[in-house]
Amino acid sequence: MATITVPQAVPSSAEDAAALMKAFQGWGTDEKAVIAILAHRNSFQRKEIMLEYEEMYNESLIQRLQSELSGDFERAMYYWILDPMERQAVMANAATKCIQEEYKIIVEIACANSPAELVAIKKAYHVIYKCSLEEDVAARTRGNLRSLLLALVSTYRYDGDDVDMGLAKSEAKIVHEAVRNGTTDHEELIRIVGTRSKAQLKATFICFREEHSTSITKALPHGTDRTGYLHALRTALRCIVDGNKYFAKVLRTATRDSGTDEDTLTRVIVVHAEKDMKDISAAFQKRASCTLQQAIEKETSGDYRSFLMALLGS
Amino acid sequence: MADEVQELTRAFSGMGGLGVDEPAMVSALARWRKQPEKRSGFRRGFPGLFRSHGEMDRCEEAYLLHLAAEFARFKNLVVLWAMHPWERDARLAHHVLHQAHPAAIVVEVACTRSADELLGARRAYQQLFHHSLEEDVAYRARDKPYCSLLVGLVSAYRYEGPRVNEEAARAEAKALGAAVKAAGGVAGKLVEDGEVVRILSTRSKAHLAETFRYYKEIHGRRIEEDLAAGKEETLHETVLCLAAPAKYFSQVMEAGLRDGADHHAKEALTRVAVTRSDADMDDIRAAYQEQFGAKLEDAIAAKAHGHYRDALLSLVGAK
Repeated sequence: MATITVPQAVPSSAEDAAALMKAFQGWGTDEKAVIAILAHRNSFQRKEIMLEYEEMYNESLIQRLQSELSGDFERAMYYWILDPMERQAVMANAATKCIQEEYKIIVEIACANSPAELVAIKKAYHVIYKCSLEEDVAARTRGNLRSLLLALVSTYRYDGDDVDMGLAKSEAKIVHEAVRNGTTDHEELIRIVGTRSKAQLKATFICFREEHSTSITKALPHGTDRTGYLHALRTALRCIVDGNKYFAKVLRTATRDSGTDEDTLTRVIVVHAEKDMKDISAAFQKRASCTLQQAIEKETSGDYRSFLMALLGS
Repeated sequence: MADEVQELTRAFSGMGGLGVDEPAMVSALARWRKQPEKRSGFRRGFPGLFRSHGEMDRCEEAYLLHLAAEFARFKNLVVLWAMHPWERDARLAHHVLHQAHPAAIVVEVACTRSADELLGARRAYQQLFHHSLEEDVAYRARDKPYCSLLVGLVSAYRYEGPRVNEEAARAEAKALGAAVKAAGGVAGKLVEDGEVVRILSTRSKAHLAETFRYYKEIHGRRIEEDLAAGKEETLHETVLCLAAPAKYFSQVMEAGLRDGADHHAKEALTRVAVTRSDADMDDIRAAYQEQFGAKLEDAIAAKAHGHYRDALLSLVGAK
């Protein structure tokens, strides 16, 4: 469930556009006003406001926001104002540019979205970047990491609940064999993780746990793997098995005392605020000693904090 | 009488053609009413279908099966034609995967359809069979050397626009040449090469056209020639489908119209005629003329009979 709140009586997009212009005018920007409007509009409304603003004032709202705001707040607002599918396409593209460090963003986008959403993201990618996400991912990676990322990004998984338990058992065996042999021959494992439906994969992992008394993520070989393949695989498995738990953990790591990771906070909260932030929040609270809002309150400041809190429904 | 017998025999496709000549059969029925001796004369003059068995001529079982297939050709064509293109492609792919027929059909569907048509087919596949197309392909082809290529091709959602990164195209033309050399003509080696699979299954068709153009420029030969020489059938077909689909389809049609064409080659005629009729059939006719020096419609008219022939001719766009 989403956490953003939209007022019962929403002003017209013209009124919102005018209010935004008023916030931009004069000395400095009225950030509170910007947040009060944009953080409380859904994607359809935000698009209307953008179009209306451009028509009324003959300039792009995005560019105006980029010049009026700064820092983490500006980055977060930039992502927020984009259409949800374009947003993830832009994030994916940024990740492909330094894919050896940011491959887990690609994994998240590929695994945490529904099959239909992933297609929409790829379509948006075509329009914006005039090439496909698959090409960019494949061209910048090698070996097992490439095979895994490409499979995750290209797949159009069956979305239903049909599960074949016999197949789950036999594929759990295959997965176990691959995991035991280290990181060499993972072709079958990648095939399974990259093509089976999420329901089927969950069944396979349950069979794995029943057979070997350990979860598959724990069974993966530990130790550093410079290619990033193992980490990507672990991320994919976590996202598929329990996306909320995965993102809750990402948020917990990002809000640790040893330094806040604003880029990660922005990425997770902005993408999920109008999707399933409530469930992620609940998962966060289960394992942390405070609520997500309390953690954000403590670890961030200024307009950036106000914006995140607004997205979280405070 | 001998002429009438021969005509009816031909109508029953005793001459190795395609389909049956329904009108000729109906006219024979009319002409020979109340003349059973004409029918026995026909039976005796048609040893392929009938065998003498004392007082009775009985049918050859094998020929009856053949007849059933020939009668069904028109029906299969019309049913395939009536289906939604996405369901059509999904069923074609499924039929191939579960019957261990040539993987060529999967390559054909994956490479000659537009990005959205292929996605639609994948959606239809899920609705019909409760699995994704790629999981079935991955599972069925898991022991074959062309597995990663095939999975990559059916999973592709290519950029469809004209923009091409010239540098990348040139670099990839070089890389393809290097891979061909490294494989040294050993069958099955090139199709497993990671770079080859990546390039063929992710790049846009416009990009690939440029890449193949650079290939000819850099290596002096067309990539299809190098692939044919190395006996890489699946790769050869992939490249042909991606770069020159009209040429590919005209070759498929020719193979189906040849004497002694097998069951799959003949089925391909229906498939190509139905699936390409609205798309690039005009280009296919032109490519056929260029390669084989004859009109596609003439070849069809010579080989096929009855409603099936008329249907094929209509789909192929014969005037």
